[in-house]
Amino acid sequence: MNWARISIILKRLDWGMVFCILLLLAVGILFIYSAACRGEDVPSAPFHRKQMLWALVGAGFFLATAFTDYRHLRDAAWWLYFVALLLLVLVLLVGKEMYGARRWLNLFGIQVQPSEFAKIATIVVVARFLGRPGRSLDEPVRIFQVLALVGVPFLLIVKEPDLGTAAMLIPVAFMMMFAAGVPVKYMLILGAVGLLLLPFGWFFLGNYQKERVLVFLDANRDPLGAGWNKIQSGIAVGSGGPTGKGYLKGTQNVLGFLPRTVAPTDFIYSVIAEETGFVGSIVLLILYALLLGSGIRAGLLARDKFGRLLAVGVTSLLFCHVFVNMAMTIGLLPITGLPLPLISYGGSFMISIMIGLGIVQSVFVRRYHE
Amino acid sequence: MVFRDLFSEEHWRLRLLYGAMLAMFGILLATLWRMQVAHGKTYQTDLVRQSVRRVRLPGMRGRIYDRAGRCVADNRPSYCIAVYLEELRRPGRWSRTIDRVDTLIDELSAVLEIPRQVDREDIQIHTRRRLPLAFLAWRDVDEIALARLAENVLGEAGVDVYVEAVREYPFGKLACHLLGYVGRAEQKSADEEPYHYYLPEMGGKAGIEKVFDGVLRGEPGGRLVRVDVSGFRYDDKELALAERAPHNGLNLKLALDFGIQEIVEGALADRPGAAVVVDPRNGDVLAMASAPGFDLNEFAPAISSERWETLLKDPAKPMLNRVTAGAYAPGSTFKPVVALAALENDKATPNTTYTCPGYFSLGRARFGCWQTRGHGALNMEQGIEHSCNVYFFRTGLQTGLDPIYNQAAALGLGRKTEIPVDFEVPGLIPNDAWKRRTMNDGWRDGDTCNLSIGQGALLVTPIQMAMLTAAIANGGQLYRPRVVTEIVDDEGAVVRQFPPVVANTLKWVPRNIRLVRDGMHDVVMSPRGTGRTAGVPGLDMAGKTGTAEYGRKEDGRNIAWMIAFAPYEHPRYAVVVMVEDAVSGGTTAAPVVKSILAGITASDGKEGEG
Repeated sequence: MNWARISIILKRLDWGMVFCILLLLAVGILFIYSAACRGEDVPSAPFHRKQMLWALVGAGFFLATAFTDYRHLRDAAWWLYFVALLLLVLVLLVGKEMYGARRWLNLFGIQVQPSEFAKIATIVVVARFLGRPGRSLDEPVRIFQVLALVGVPFLLIVKEPDLGTAAMLIPVAFMMMFAAGVPVKYMLILGAVGLLLLPFGWFFLGNYQKERVLVFLDANRDPLGAGWNKIQSGIAVGSGGPTGKGYLKGTQNVLGFLPRTVAPTDFIYSVIAEETGFVGSIVLLILYALLLGSGIRAGLLARDKFGRLLAVGVTSLLFCHVFVNMAMTIGLLPITGLPLPLISYGGSFMISIMIGLGIVQSVFVRRYHE
Repeated sequence: MVFRDLFSEEHWRLRLLYGAMLAMFGILLATLWRMQVAHGKTYQTDLVRQSVRRVRLPGMRGRIYDRAGRCVADNRPSYCIAVYLEELRRPGRWSRTIDRVDTLIDELSAVLEIPRQVDREDIQIHTRRRLPLAFLAWRDVDEIALARLAENVLGEAGVDVYVEAVREYPFGKLACHLLGYVGRAEQKSADEEPYHYYLPEMGGKAGIEKVFDGVLRGEPGGRLVRVDVSGFRYDDKELALAERAPHNGLNLKLALDFGIQEIVEGALADRPGAAVVVDPRNGDVLAMASAPGFDLNEFAPAISSERWETLLKDPAKPMLNRVTAGAYAPGSTFKPVVALAALENDKATPNTTYTCPGYFSLGRARFGCWQTRGHGALNMEQGIEHSCNVYFFRTGLQTGLDPIYNQAAALGLGRKTEIPVDFEVPGLIPNDAWKRRTMNDGWRDGDTCNLSIGQGALLVTPIQMAMLTAAIANGGQLYRPRVVTEIVDDEGAVVRQFPPVVANTLKWVPRNIRLVRDGMHDVVMSPRGTGRTAGVPGLDMAGKTGTAEYGRKEDGRNIAWMIAFAPYEHPRYAVVVMVEDAVSGGTTAAPVVKSILAGITASDGKEGEG
């Protein structure tokens, strides 16, 4: 790759998207600092410093993927997919157990969550499958084939168990099928059947998952136990009011009502909402809407269907995470341990989402038929 | 870009997908609007409710001064050693934090060389109930311990000095029954906003401290404390600004003169009894003492339960305020009342003369005179001077029950004087209705005879006798006893004044009251008067002694009384002395009156010189 090529790529990069990403990363680091703050004390756990490191590493992956031609992924799709499945099996066998779940794999001293990379790999393989030139999507069997592709990692992740992460794959697959042109009627039928079967899924839920669903339906069911986070998160968000209490002025996390373990991760949004209020919520949603828009635009302008589906897949994944995380924070959905993209503390998800966004950039950069 | 692609179905689907995503964001935004803008206040209230605690701060209790401005109930700082649990907290189980506090207190105990005042259970209780407040490991420590603390410990986390106000009574036992004492106040929550935590406040438990508790107690202040999810205090500077400072209580100024009080209590010398000195010109209670007493400082900050038991079980009843809560037969000190009733109702004149043979026969009953050999022929003035029973039997029978009853009632007997003390009894003037009610028997002449010499069912309190004596001294103004003259604020400004109150004005015929006063003058000043032992050289005074039998007749126990006033022409002091289990008024009570009036005259002289 020569300098001329690099400068062309840099010129064609979607700088608006890069700007959104940087802003969201900055918001994340600022509020992870706030969430870990105890009054005037310096945060005991240097979460924000580690998050900066993750953001830098993520940026590296982002650039590397953006500069790599996404079309290489077409050839590597199946390899990636199988490696991801292998890692998922491995995590079930030798994964480190934390909070009653095996989600972490120790790779050369670094704890990684294979399920995060499996999501990207699944998107790539589905994009390849649906984006294959000349493939007819009018046959119902295609849907089942896609579901089979998604189903294997889904079941492996459910087994960890990490239902929230696994469940993300389903809407993403549907959005990709919709974008690829699968007839709407097939998807509606399948969706209806799925909804009918959903109640039977209850019997496959673990006790704590059932509890979360029940608490979602009635927060006062167990206010000091399973309902606690939902209630406290609601108080944090609501008490933020129209303009918030000011940066570092939130009390819910400082006083420990919002548990310190989840404040910088899954419930980072309630810290932001408490301190910045409705105004901050709007700004955050606008930033995400712009980011999603640039992802969809990359899909619209993609030179081929594989690229378009990649962009749609990553954008859908991003959307699902943002929506589900914020919805659970404000009590619209049951509590699921899903992080807020680019903001929540955590390395694996940060890197996987940055790789995903890098793929979108790679598609966008190569939008022209040269 | 290929033109065809933009309008292909796939592009339409992508735009729809994005539209759907934005619509979902719209749902989030609507929910956020509802929570943060529409219902933000509700959530803010929830937040405050779970993380802010209100602490009630008591005001500094007001002081009590005597009429000369001596402070007789004061506050002194008491130094406590406080432990702040939030600085000692340990993660994990509560017992770990409690262990740490427990260990720290052990260490402090060794360094300060003072024994522990609290045990592990106290720490546990504090953790459960008053976690955000300072835990007082030691109360009222001495200077040595404080100095050791300052040298070795202060500056270390979690330990500090905490100052509490403790009541102090500079005069100890003096006027203990009147002043009363304080104890830990009950938390009254009905009339004021509820607090989460109450700091200990002193509340009056007896005497003036109790009656004027509302005045002495200040206006409470409040402090907000931020607590974290475990209930530990969390230092919040903004919240600290919201503190509302308490206001000090108001001070009382008493009519009492502790100089006179000291003389009176010295004269009583702890014999079970009571003594009162009032100013006949305005009803001011200059001294009132009940013996035996107790040291008020034993009650500050709190009395031990053993000591309390001892006080309650003492047969001499040191906790009883005999001045207002003890009712006794007045004996012959009641005779001036009978004389006034007779004279005012024209049942006797100054010249009415009866002969005393030493006894009086009524039907088959025989009533003796204390002078068994008889007084011979006596007129009214002599009857009073010699306190002749026979003279008063006959005068009483001549007068009849009702005039005597009415005169006694007009002089304030049989009902409370409304002196501001926590417990006062009304005493009793018997009459026909009372006797029918309680004994199912009508009033007989024998009852009139007993009443005429202050015996029988008649019961009076020393304070009633004091006000009665003052009324005779001043010629007919029955005052309500005045104990508190002013309520004064911190700056010395008078908030409220209590002017003298006349309870009743007796419109005696001047000749009649002059006669009774003359008789009382003879009691002390005549060489044969029954109260001559009360005489103070150089002091022109009047009085009346009394010896009342009480208890079972065969025990022969007497209550000795003397009422007196001085100087005779323009009285400034009316004195009552009552001594239980005594020989007689002349032998036991009169010398007490003498030492009281001699002491007052001596100190008056000194003041006059100075």
